[in-house]
Amino acid sequence: MKLDVSAMENNFAAHAAGGEDDGGLFGAGADLPAMELPTCPADFDGFQKETKEMLKHKKGTTTLAFIFDKGVIVAADSRASMGGYISSQTVRKIIEINPYMLGTMAGGAADCQFWHRNLGIKCRLHELANKRRISIAGASKLLANILYSYRGMGLSIGTMIAGWDEKGPGLYYVDSEGARLMGSRFSVGSGSLYAYGILDEGYRYVMPVEEAAELARRAIYQATFRDGASGGCVSVYHVGPNGWTKLSGDDVGELHYKYYPVEATPVEQEMADAPAA
Amino acid sequence: MAGATDLPPKGGFSYDNCARNAMLVEKGLKMPGFLKTGTTIVGLVFQDGVVLGADTRATEGPIVADKNCEKIHYMAPNIYCCGAGTAADTEAVTDMVSSQLQLHRYATGRESRVVTSLTLLKSHLFSYQGHVSAALVLGGVDVTGPHLHTVYPHGSTDTLPFATMGSGSLAAMSVFESKYKEGLTREEGIQLVAEAIRGGIFNDLGSGSNVDVCVITKGKTEYLRNHQLPNPRTYVSSKGYNFTKGQTVVLSTKITQLKPKVEVTEGDAMEE
Amino acid sequence: MSRRGDWVYENNGGTCVAIAGADYCVVAADTRLSVGYNILTRDHSKICELADKCALASSGFQGDIKALHKNLAARELLYQHQHNKRMSCPAMAQLLSNTLYYKRFFPYYAFNVLGGLDSEGKGCVFTYDAVGSYERTGYSAQGTGSALIMPVLDNQLKSPSPLLLPARDAVTPLSETEAVDLVKDVFASATERDIYTGDKLEIVVINKAGTKREYIDLRKD
Repeated sequence: MKLDVSAMENNFAAHAAGGEDDGGLFGAGADLPAMELPTCPADFDGFQKETKEMLKHKKGTTTLAFIFDKGVIVAADSRASMGGYISSQTVRKIIEINPYMLGTMAGGAADCQFWHRNLGIKCRLHELANKRRISIAGASKLLANILYSYRGMGLSIGTMIAGWDEKGPGLYYVDSEGARLMGSRFSVGSGSLYAYGILDEGYRYVMPVEEAAELARRAIYQATFRDGASGGCVSVYHVGPNGWTKLSGDDVGELHYKYYPVEATPVEQEMADAPAA
Repeated sequence: MAGATDLPPKGGFSYDNCARNAMLVEKGLKMPGFLKTGTTIVGLVFQDGVVLGADTRATEGPIVADKNCEKIHYMAPNIYCCGAGTAADTEAVTDMVSSQLQLHRYATGRESRVVTSLTLLKSHLFSYQGHVSAALVLGGVDVTGPHLHTVYPHGSTDTLPFATMGSGSLAAMSVFESKYKEGLTREEGIQLVAEAIRGGIFNDLGSGSNVDVCVITKGKTEYLRNHQLPNPRTYVSSKGYNFTKGQTVVLSTKITQLKPKVEVTEGDAMEE
Repeated sequence: MSRRGDWVYENNGGTCVAIAGADYCVVAADTRLSVGYNILTRDHSKICELADKCALASSGFQGDIKALHKNLAARELLYQHQHNKRMSCPAMAQLLSNTLYYKRFFPYYAFNVLGGLDSEGKGCVFTYDAVGSYERTGYSAQGTGSALIMPVLDNQLKSPSPLLLPARDAVTPLSETEAVDLVKDVFASATERDIYTGDKLEIVVINKAGTKREYIDLRKD
């Protein structure tokens, strides 16, 4: 095959004898995320504050997960916003780490996406080295340790690691401040209070899967109803002994009319289309 | 108990909240922005009068708020004034002075002089210490001949043969500096002003759209609105767009009929 | 590396759009480079053809964009040496995401749209934030004019969410010529109202026949 170097020539042409900064291109292996820091230790905080301004992405979210007798249910909305602007209605906030483990995403979109991808790699390597799947406790601790090592540097992550391992269902809450909590019921994000309201009301340990899924769906729906930064679609996943399955994905607009059907009011007079001019 | 607070309001701006607002801005409050006319305005003196020119773009930050606004304001039949800065301020200050000039004409029965309006403008702007952000190019012809002045927001003024103002002033001035000479004809004057404005339109992002020109000579004023249109739309789709009905679901319909109002008059019709 | 103690970014403006179709992808950007109220050049390409079926359009800070494009082009060349084939568009998408995230604490001030064809020959568009969160979509707009263009694209092209279950078919229902026509129109409209967008429009169309570049004029004021 003939090498195509046109993309490089295009860029190098205007540049006489490039600088020494190869951006870690030929250096450390790709397995080490070597983070470059700005060389301004004197006012690193000020720089962080200003760079954060331009990276404001995905501020609002509602995610939840809970353990019940038939496994774990995980649910989330799908909206990403920058201030008042909705930048996406189709974000995948439930990240499929492997067939037995899910992660949820709240806080910075890039932070969550990248570190979950990184966690996925680490879990697979663990599997290859030990010939068995990693436990949920182990996986969540891997993530928590990484996040703790970056504490105070401005990462913004609030995640739940949910899955099924040798001991049964597992659910952990991990955040960028260094917390790692085991629990049976969590909700994270700006809409979490609304979701907790529904979730705590309707939660029982023994439930059919359908009822559990409906509880999760309703909790996220109610959160999108009251929290402007949450919206889009409600995705619901179930993790059982055979791995996760996606149970449903519903537009919150359609859900609203499912929960609150509009009664057909007697139309006093049918509106007629204006005749084409 | 006639304290200072009981004095009747004297009119003008209130500065009561200045210190408070400065403190809030310091703490990170974002004040609402004003409509600014990032602008190119120019004027020059030719053989027998003055020519004023302006672009027609008004911006709100990076967004074009008005593609064809008027920046050459009426002061008197023989005096016009181009405005740059905050749109509300340039408009208010020119309107105010133009009223004063009108009243002065009623009182004296004579044509207004350019220096009169200049003095009214600068004394007003000076008294507000730059808080009225109006940068003006004032031009006119009176009994003493043609005059051209610039007025800065703090109240200082210049008297010049050719002048530019606004964010595009450097682009426009480069045209004037290379081509202006004394004793231009009317046509040459208009052409040079239009070229200077085009310089601002194309090289300054705060200026754009069309060229407005105003020519004032002894006893005659011509306002050439949209003298040139150098920025037509570049592409129009071959097919139109249709916005299909039913995107917003109609949940219920209720129509209330207008009831015809019937007036019942009893008895016979009124006699003449 | 030079001293970077102060605020080091600048916004050079510009708008990027990409639209994916069944068997094509249109990537477009204006060619104006500006700072503040000044135009630095009217003829600066924001689109880099990184591989045969992959084009990246970026707006933001030109210095960072140049460095990013150079870095990706070099990585693509290494990939050619190591694998004896060109990089696919989804692979480039993840490479770009990682490249952006590795500078999480000193980001590239670049807003990217990546367009191309996937391994099945279907059009794909990937849209990013400055630190590498990304998503595959059917169309996207980034840069100073994005808030003006995105609602129009939503109106014309929005398809059912890929998150829906049961899934609904989601392909941009436009032909290639219709998509190019739409791109030209949204740029002509954005140029009317965004002062940082203008001068010329550069359109790269990628389909199975290859890529072609096309230019049309925009307003220059």
